[in-house]
Amino acid sequence: MASETGESIRPRGTYIPWDELPVERETVVGVGTVLPVVVLYTLIAVFPIAFAFWASLHDIHTLNPEWEWVGFANYAEVLNISTFWGSLWRGIVYMVGSTLLQLAVGLWMALVLNRITRGQKLLTAVVFTAYLIPTIIVSLVALRVFDPLGGVFQMMGAEWFGLWSSQTAPLGSRDWAMRLLILIGSWKFAVFVTIFTLAQLRAIPDRFYEAAKVCGANRWQMFRDITLPRLMGIVLVVVLLRSIFMFNKFDIIWQLTQGGPGNATTTLPVLAYKTVYTDQAYGLANAISVVMFLFLLASAIVYFKLFNPSEEVETTT
Amino acid sequence: MSQSEPPGGIFGLSYDGETRAFEALKLVSTAIIVLVGAWPIYWMTQLAFTEYETVEDAVTVFPTPEIFTVSNFTVLTDPEMYTYMFNTVVVAIGTIVTVVIVSLVAGYGLARLDFPQKENFARILLIGYLFSPIVIGIPLYQIWRSIGLLGTRIGLIIALSAVSMPFAVWLMWKYIMTIPEAHEEAAWVDGASRWRGFRDVVVPQCRPAIIAAALFAFALAWNDFTFAQILLPQTDTTTFAPGILRAMGQAQFLPDAYLMAISLAMTLPPLLFAYFMQSYLLKGFQVRAL
Repeated sequence: MASETGESIRPRGTYIPWDELPVERETVVGVGTVLPVVVLYTLIAVFPIAFAFWASLHDIHTLNPEWEWVGFANYAEVLNISTFWGSLWRGIVYMVGSTLLQLAVGLWMALVLNRITRGQKLLTAVVFTAYLIPTIIVSLVALRVFDPLGGVFQMMGAEWFGLWSSQTAPLGSRDWAMRLLILIGSWKFAVFVTIFTLAQLRAIPDRFYEAAKVCGANRWQMFRDITLPRLMGIVLVVVLLRSIFMFNKFDIIWQLTQGGPGNATTTLPVLAYKTVYTDQAYGLANAISVVMFLFLLASAIVYFKLFNPSEEVETTT
Repeated sequence: MSQSEPPGGIFGLSYDGETRAFEALKLVSTAIIVLVGAWPIYWMTQLAFTEYETVEDAVTVFPTPEIFTVSNFTVLTDPEMYTYMFNTVVVAIGTIVTVVIVSLVAGYGLARLDFPQKENFARILLIGYLFSPIVIGIPLYQIWRSIGLLGTRIGLIIALSAVSMPFAVWLMWKYIMTIPEAHEEAAWVDGASRWRGFRDVVVPQCRPAIIAAALFAFALAWNDFTFAQILLPQTDTTTFAPGILRAMGQAQFLPDAYLMAISLAMTLPPLLFAYFMQSYLLKGFQVRAL
């Protein structure tokens, strides 16, 4: 911050008119650095969100620009439409199921990748690729391998394990659609967990383990007392982000099942999309998205109160 | 290490036994990861190199010489596909450049300059993630239409940059905090301005974080379906994901082998990115706080 004499050595540069302002020069420059972020964020988040909220108070036919003020009637309707609670429940199932699976698989992959000696770089690259390839490609490959006409996973499931009959399309079956969505989504997004935890694992100095070894600790004790505490902070953050992302996930569900069969995989984002483009109820769809936001906000606040990811992290930095 | 626990391995195993068990576990795990991680990519590759008539009729495992072909890749020169992929590349590069520049400057500001409410500012940024892209996309359609950005690649670049921004800013902020401020002070003492200090001292040291932020932005842009679907309604500016879905809807017959050839072409850049950048990347993600 300052030099030893207590006087700031920060450069001040040439005179600019800002120096006359009643605020610190540093404040002006500081605010200046985040200004582009603020502008972008206003354009892409604040405006659309305000717009969505405003629209949710109106009755709007999607193709017709007439806005009819209805106040909170859309919200009353949201809570009454029969598919809302089901979609909320399915959204929670999808969110919790895939987050837990991704956490387990992601952590495990990171631990293994950190320890293997041969082919580590190549295998890490292959694993990371799953996160980087377009979702649409994951969907295309998944649709192909689960297709009853020559899909290799469909065939294995039917003939080797007898999970479904050979004529069934598992992605179109009530029993399997949701489970497969969770599995396919996790294949892609577990890598997100892997990237972060692997980065943390690489940051743990070897001398910690050497010291523990000298003290006679076994591998489990080393994991429990060295590895796990160092991972906790990032795991809490990653779980929060992944839960939010999975709850809001639209693309992969739409590409794989379009919410079907019936409503078996309709989560809230899919319901909102369907409400806009199938039911042509733009106002109602926005009410759904505001409810979704409130649900996530409440969950996030509870999560912060329970675990406080940022504090956890600050103490270890 | 508590004293009460007996020395030696888990489950009463000796050290050697424990090591052997650990190695075995590692080997099995590696095998599973190879299988699960590489298998879909392998499957895609082998279908891309197999004659499409064969792919339509039978399950193939390996493109043996009699069914091997590279002719599936001719689909890449199809003007429509070429446009989709070109657009995706433009959007990805545009997003990466915007995100890196803006997040570097903002991250520096948050880490080094004092101004009121900066922590809260960073927290509020993350609230944007609570809104589903589908929720933001629909109003954005109206907003972009009224300011003339609808259907332009710039419009999509702005949207995607703004979406990856909060995370990238966090990353930069926390990363720059790990660089000792003394490095800059040394430059200041020598008479460098704040800008010079930022450019010549901070930015070079930020390389891992820059790569991590770039990768995050790349993944978002390369992956994006929802925003492109809504914001690029015309075919000539659209990107790969919605484009291919539309092409599949319109084409009478788009063989699976062709789709896999296209998919492989779209998978190679990320694979190379992941292979050559991973050490920087992992270093950049070594921030613990969000």
